[in-house]
Amino acid sequence: MSIVSQISEQELQEQFEARIAAGEKIEVDDWMPEEYRLALIKLISMHGISEIMGALPEKEWVPKAPTLYRKLGIMAKVQDEMGHGQLLLRVAEDLLKPYGKDRGDIMIDLFEGRLKFHNVFHMETKSWGDAGLIGWLVDGSAIISQTNMLGSSYGPYARALQRICAEEVFHAQHGEAIIMALAEGTPEQRALVQDAVNRWWESLLFFFGPASKDTTGTSKQDLTIKYKIRVLTNEELRQSFLTKYVPRIQSIGLTVPDPTLHFDEAQNKWIYQEPNWEYFKKIQRNEGPCSQERLALRRSSYENNAWVREALTALVN
Amino acid sequence: MEKQSFYQEFEVFSKRTATANFQHQFSLLAPNGEMALVMAQENFMRREPVVDIWVVNRKHLHGLTQDSKQALQRLDNKDYRTTKGYGYLKKKWRHYEQVMLDEKEILSWAGGGEKNE
Repeated sequence: MSIVSQISEQELQEQFEARIAAGEKIEVDDWMPEEYRLALIKLISMHGISEIMGALPEKEWVPKAPTLYRKLGIMAKVQDEMGHGQLLLRVAEDLLKPYGKDRGDIMIDLFEGRLKFHNVFHMETKSWGDAGLIGWLVDGSAIISQTNMLGSSYGPYARALQRICAEEVFHAQHGEAIIMALAEGTPEQRALVQDAVNRWWESLLFFFGPASKDTTGTSKQDLTIKYKIRVLTNEELRQSFLTKYVPRIQSIGLTVPDPTLHFDEAQNKWIYQEPNWEYFKKIQRNEGPCSQERLALRRSSYENNAWVREALTALVN
Repeated sequence: MEKQSFYQEFEVFSKRTATANFQHQFSLLAPNGEMALVMAQENFMRREPVVDIWVVNRKHLHGLTQDSKQALQRLDNKDYRTTKGYGYLKKKWRHYEQVMLDEKEILSWAGGGEKNE
């Protein structure tokens, strides 16, 4: 006989909150409030699908990588991103089970605009400098936001992130190596990487999302902090990014395209020019420079491979 | 209909070295065990050393519910069952001018102990 069935929802909620407060890990079959489950589903399916969509701007550079070593490096990274997507979609679909949904539904939600992919993957990559910058600074940002959730109260997510973060370290160094070679190269190469920084700076500020829901109308950050899924707020993450990376960017002779950027000792924070949050909202509506192109690529690959899934189904039956 | 028949959930375990224990890695979806083994290597063993892999269909796993897990909590009253309850012997042996054969000493005998040093 189950003890759980004999107690009220109210008591279950209290027990759950006590477990979270005590730092316990919640597992997939444990009781959890629907609010917690839905926040996790939204967060993790978006994270998982973004890994897969994030492989698209990078895979464009596999055929164009300048040396065989660089080609192998970026291929390994693209494969890792798809692997991270696999891990995270597994976590998401276990949470979706009570609703009778699986990763096929996640894909459909993506195609029909109900599920967003990360704003940074809607942007265009124009040069090999962009490929390096993505590895160095976009993956650098991803490391900051993912390590922020390594201690997540949801056990399966924390374990997936543990694996992911370990591989992200390679990704960041892969990007650093590309940037370092360009920054120490010819004037043309230096100009190439400076141009990449200029074009990507706004996207890097967008990366962590707006400081509060006043900007975009909704934000799950308060809820995910309350349930110990994450620790720091969006703005705290952005500040941490600036602290870690601005000195590094400047140390190799690159300039951040924001003359107002400085660290204010009195306020103990970075002052920077706010990016255009209206543009951010546009990107979120899948109206960014490459939103539709990348969705179309994902959709056609899903449709072109439908026969494989059907053939395997026939084999199973 | 297709949903239920195509994907099956597998839990993946692997060994890093010949002497290591199998360790749980993660789960994956595959249509059968053979594909699950291929996917396991692609998903979880791209870098780390590995000498063996198991995949187990989730429907063959038997686990505990949230409340039965609570029954696993132990009281700290099992000294008689552990070396902790016999720690006083160290002092006794010292009195008889002998060294106690503790766990560290005993396990060091593997492979012939001093003979091989």
